[in-house]
Amino acid sequence: MRHVLWMAVFAGLTGIVFGVVAKGTDRQRVIYGLKVFGEFIAIAFVLGWILYFLPIR
Amino acid sequence: MAAKSIEETAKVETPRVAWLMGLAAWAVPGLGHVLQRKFVRAVLLGGAVWAMFFIGLGLGGHLYTVTDHGLGALVQLLPMSANVGTGLLYLACWLTNSGFAEQAHRVTYEYGNTFLLVAGLLNYLTALDAFDIAAGRKQ
Repeated sequence: MRHVLWMAVFAGLTGIVFGVVAKGTDRQRVIYGLKVFGEFIAIAFVLGWILYFLPIR
Repeated sequence: MAAKSIEETAKVETPRVAWLMGLAAWAVPGLGHVLQRKFVRAVLLGGAVWAMFFIGLGLGGHLYTVTDHGLGALVQLLPMSANVGTGLLYLACWLTNSGFAEQAHRVTYEYGNTFLLVAGLLNYLTALDAFDIAAGRKQ
């Protein structure tokens, strides 16, 4: 659970910076920041499940 | 006509203050925006970078420096250049010799490293943003 929490914190902080430095209206930048956050989380879960099934231990 | 327009655009000089703002933003995360009275941006950008840096240290991450010779140094140079992005925070750690020790026994060690690396990289973006605002390329 701790790993997921820190991953979410990382995604959140990165999303904030990406959203603030992006161009566009405030609304567009907020949406972009949320999109970056969501993409980080989604990709991490997808990669996590892919790695789970790979016999790499 | 178009060529003349491009030539005129290329001649526009970047104000010296823009370089100073970029440098200030790199040296102290958020300072470049504070000096330009962009307080909300300063809190969001600077806060994110500062938070990532200290969370990274708290999680057991370590900063990189070049200690090897030859090709080994090249491997360390890349993460070090990311860490250097945090400006004076990195310099303060270097001067006090803190934050460079590896703590691989900790579960969150790799998370800490990632936080520290990305804090520096995000601060480069912050510095570019401060530069663009001071140069009038962004509002």
